[in-house]
Amino acid sequence: MSLHAQDDPALRAAQEERLRAVWKPPTGWFFRWTDTNNNQVGVWYTLTAFGFMLFAGVLAMIMRAQLAVPENDLVSPATFNQLFTLHGSMMMFLFAVPMFEAVSIILLPQLLGARDLPFPRLSAFGYWSFLIGGVFVTGSIFFNVAPDGGWFMYPPFTTRTDLSGLGADIWMLGLSFIEVSSVAAAVELIVGVLKCRPPGMRLNLMPLYAWYILVVAVMILFAFPPLIAGDVLFEMERLLGWPFFDQAKGGDPILWQHLFWIFGHPEVYIVFLPSIALFAMIVPTFARRHLLGYPWIVLAAVGTAFLSFGLWVHHMFTTGLPKISLAFFSAASEAVAIPTGIQIFAFIATLWAGRVVWSTPLLYVTGSLAIFVIGGLTGVMVAIAPFDWQAHDTYFIVAHLHYVLIGGTLIPLFGGLYYYWPLITGKKLSDQLGRTAFWFLFVGANLTFFPMHFSGLLGMPRRVFTYPAELGIGGLNMASTIGSWVFATGVAIVCVDLALSPRRRKSPRNPWAAGTLEWLAHPDDEDWGIRSVPLIESRYPIWDQTDFVKKVDEGRFFLPDAEEGRRETIVTSVLDARPVQVVRLGGPSIKPMLTAIALGSVFILTTYHLYWAALVGAVATLGMVLWWLWTGTAEIPEKDSKPIGHGIELPLYISGASASGWWAMFITMMADATAFSGLVFGYFFFWTRHEDFPPSGVGLDGPGAFWPMVALAVSLAGWLMTIAARETNRRGMVGAARALLALGAVASLAAIGAGLAGPWLSGLAPKLHVYPAIVWTLVIWTTAHAGVGAIMQLYTLARSLAGKMTPKYDADVRNITVYQHFMALTALVTYATIGLFPGAA
Amino acid sequence: MKNETPHGPERRGVRHRLRQLRVTLWTLIVPPSVWAVHFLFCYLWVAVSCAKLGAFPRFTVAFVIGTLVAEAIILASGWIAWVQTRTPGDPAPHDQGTDIDRLRFLAVSTLLLAGLSFVAVIFTAVPALMLTDCR
Amino acid sequence: MVLGAVVIAAAVGGLMFAAQRSREGALTHQQGMRLVLWAGGVVPTVVLLTLLIATLPAMRPIAVKPDDLRVTVTGEQFWWRVRYQPAGQAAIDDSNELRVPVGRNVELLLEAGDVLHSFWVPGLAGKLDMVPGRTNKLVVHATRAGRFRGQCAEFCGLSHALMAFDVVAMEPAAFDAWLAARRTPAPVGGDGARLFAANGCGGCHTVAGVSEAAIGPNLTHLGSRASLGAGMQRRTHANLVRFIKQAPTVKPGARMPAYPQLTNEDAATIARWLEQSK
Repeated sequence: MSLHAQDDPALRAAQEERLRAVWKPPTGWFFRWTDTNNNQVGVWYTLTAFGFMLFAGVLAMIMRAQLAVPENDLVSPATFNQLFTLHGSMMMFLFAVPMFEAVSIILLPQLLGARDLPFPRLSAFGYWSFLIGGVFVTGSIFFNVAPDGGWFMYPPFTTRTDLSGLGADIWMLGLSFIEVSSVAAAVELIVGVLKCRPPGMRLNLMPLYAWYILVVAVMILFAFPPLIAGDVLFEMERLLGWPFFDQAKGGDPILWQHLFWIFGHPEVYIVFLPSIALFAMIVPTFARRHLLGYPWIVLAAVGTAFLSFGLWVHHMFTTGLPKISLAFFSAASEAVAIPTGIQIFAFIATLWAGRVVWSTPLLYVTGSLAIFVIGGLTGVMVAIAPFDWQAHDTYFIVAHLHYVLIGGTLIPLFGGLYYYWPLITGKKLSDQLGRTAFWFLFVGANLTFFPMHFSGLLGMPRRVFTYPAELGIGGLNMASTIGSWVFATGVAIVCVDLALSPRRRKSPRNPWAAGTLEWLAHPDDEDWGIRSVPLIESRYPIWDQTDFVKKVDEGRFFLPDAEEGRRETIVTSVLDARPVQVVRLGGPSIKPMLTAIALGSVFILTTYHLYWAALVGAVATLGMVLWWLWTGTAEIPEKDSKPIGHGIELPLYISGASASGWWAMFITMMADATAFSGLVFGYFFFWTRHEDFPPSGVGLDGPGAFWPMVALAVSLAGWLMTIAARETNRRGMVGAARALLALGAVASLAAIGAGLAGPWLSGLAPKLHVYPAIVWTLVIWTTAHAGVGAIMQLYTLARSLAGKMTPKYDADVRNITVYQHFMALTALVTYATIGLFPGAA
Repeated sequence: MKNETPHGPERRGVRHRLRQLRVTLWTLIVPPSVWAVHFLFCYLWVAVSCAKLGAFPRFTVAFVIGTLVAEAIILASGWIAWVQTRTPGDPAPHDQGTDIDRLRFLAVSTLLLAGLSFVAVIFTAVPALMLTDCR
Repeated sequence: MVLGAVVIAAAVGGLMFAAQRSREGALTHQQGMRLVLWAGGVVPTVVLLTLLIATLPAMRPIAVKPDDLRVTVTGEQFWWRVRYQPAGQAAIDDSNELRVPVGRNVELLLEAGDVLHSFWVPGLAGKLDMVPGRTNKLVVHATRAGRFRGQCAEFCGLSHALMAFDVVAMEPAAFDAWLAARRTPAPVGGDGARLFAANGCGGCHTVAGVSEAAIGPNLTHLGSRASLGAGMQRRTHANLVRFIKQAPTVKPGARMPAYPQLTNEDAATIARWLEQSK
């Protein structure tokens, strides 16, 4: 259709009617929850995370009440330990990370002019996993079995079943489940930013929020998997008695600390950078100019992401590692302050150069930066090891981390709430209440946490349920408790403001007169996301492109219609956002919810040692996933291509490296490989800890070289056959491709047998010593992946037989080839390590 | 980090070829990746030496060469990026929807990252110069 | 450092304020970029690198000589095992109190019996963790005589908050005399000793000359300590009686059982007997 055609109001009305019908949310008291549209899922996600934040905040209030006076006995030590463990774990796992993902699920499609994210059903699956896991972990406190080992869960206290009960399993399994959903969301967001931008939005025109989300999601991909690897080892010890952290059998509790903090430090930046991303949207709007130093901000985001992976040992400064090792991390911990400084000064320079319009969101930005700077400066102090040896694990650190997290996450989020509330609801929040709340929050935060610097240096360690009066810190603690009430009042005022919102009038469209795409959203919200996908020529198109809003609204850009009655969005190229495909998105479906329930049951039943039931759950999960994939992905379209307007015709099906599905597989496997490298790290870590590794003796002798090499050869054969299947299929030799897939599956299954044969035949006894335990773990990891590989090969074979995969429409075989590349790498590392490492053969 | 770019006629060929080396998202992360490899190399070298030998040799050829190589790669990628930032076109900020502006944006970002990475490698190397044993 | 931090915080805050008050175009693009480069990039880099180079030498531990006193301190839930190892002499066991000579280096060998603990005496040195399976070395050097409070700084369970201890720094001569006296404790008999044995207390606690067991703290010199229950309360007679009868209530998670069957008189007798042993 030409520009001319869109002049016809009747045509536009007809298009709108079709779009409305396609994007209409399902109705009914149950089916409305099967929606997958980001507008709905994102809001549920945000509200749930907000709820968990309020709950965790209440836990903190109880703790502050207990600590108000010395030698208080308001709550018992057992309760107190549950309170602080749950407070920290919830704020991190159930609030900070999910909140950023939730907000991004709402905002990202709007920012990118997309109708939805590339995998809406994956978002829904992530949400239901989050809800189930979150309620499971949180609910435990009502049964007095909440985790009580601290949010870091240091073994051996937590791995010894005589010292810690069900709480440790609830933490480990419940939060592992949530980590899976976090990684799923990260995959979604990365593909969203890279592949679902509007035409013309090249990398240098991307809203900075999208840059940050890209960076943060990539960080999640490399930060969460080591923790998942740690969780695996942890539960192997708790449930099976494999002694990874038991020094009596060659284990070492320090390994957990490494794996935890390789996750834990990047985590701090994972929750901080999204707030900076909000600043990067808010500041230009109220400075009425482009953000100054766009590449500097990108530098800061990418630089911070890298450096943040070189900081983890600063949480372990007091563990007695060699000073020189500490010094490397001390150096990196100081260096990471440089990009942070750059970001802050880019904002200052923008405000300086611009015409500042005072507003509530900007007040929050300013206030939170002030708090964050103090937290950052104490961060530089504790990066210096000799200072940290005093401050470590004291209330000084409590003060530092809360300054960073309140200034760097919480108050920015409240600022973002005031800024984006009109986008979501079409109504502004009250400036009056917002500013009042701000001052309560600001004063409360400082009054609560500033005195803690002193109580810490005066000798108050963290995680104590009481302290003696003669320490002389009663006054400081009373001040902190009063401050916490002030802070809570601020939060309550925000909640009141939110509660009053439904009674307020709609505000005009784009109430802040912002320049970025998301403000195209109309107060009378339509579920289609954007009327037509625009051509972007500026970082602030609403400010800079003439008649931009009108053209979007009148459908004068791309994809203004939904002729075939399908939910669609445009896929573009990574660097320059050239349109490459119209992708069809999954609509409302019950499958994500059911899959989440099935997977959740696996984790929850395992917690209660109901292994057979858990196995049933696992099989059910597998069945659900296959059903979901079979019916919802790589669908062969009814026609090859469709026009999106302006004479551009785009294919409806693409496969390989330009397709979003391929990217999703690639990114998921990066996370998988990272988790695997955590396990391999464990092997070499134990090697450094022992004179004789592998040890010798009955049940300890290595698996030899023969079976590992056989397993490697068979694995590589399966990999090559999959590649050959892809190539033969592409050339139209469907029969050969099918045979190769079948043979590949046989090879994968044989690799399972050959892989297990090594440790099995040499009688490695995993409960005896850490060496057999880590060898078995590596082998089980690899053979389990071989098993998944076989399922994929058989699935692809079935797709081919069912006519759902053809030489032309070959996404399935291309995607499983990506899996097989990683599988081959995993097999190579595992079998070379256990079979060829000095002494193992 | 300022590199003097030679202007001799025989070097123009090299510069021209460097400008052909397009910066992409992957080249953007070369400098910080070099930092990461160098950092891991230093940490693992010391950790393994201390755990298995009880001491680490100072100023081994490996450490000095490793650090120099890391800095050289960072400088090289920074220089390539710098050459590309000089691609002729409109003045900064490079916020137009053109091929050249996208290229120069990535080049500037790479250059800045190279600067940060260069400094960060120095930060990492300093402890190995100042602390001398495994205690 | 603190002063520097205050100055930086004030400068950034002031700049933030000024920036918002400034009129449009007060800063050109070029000037803005220069501000980011210098104030955001170069200056922090120089400051941080200087700070790093200045503070790294402080990480070097104090060197010890072979004949310096070594003391093994082992963290247990929720108390401290102390073993003095003077060079060339037999070891001396004690619990929940550490004595060090002023002006001499003492090497502490820190270990853990069950879970992670962390040894922290704010007035004496930075903290160092106690990790099962590892021995961490911390060298302390007291510069003045006096009493310092120590505290477990790594979360270790229910009574983590109640896991403290006293460090007494003594003049070297006094310390040597004290250590020599420790070598020959005079056993004290009487009703207290009999009740102590009859109630099975010796199954866990060592009192020199009466019992030998290493499950709970060594009580040989309880009478000389200022505090009770690993630094959790003042050592008064009433507190000691209460501890003997209701340890799990006084110190949650402690492995010592309650003795409700013990009469108040018997508990008082045991307490008096323990108080006599200096």
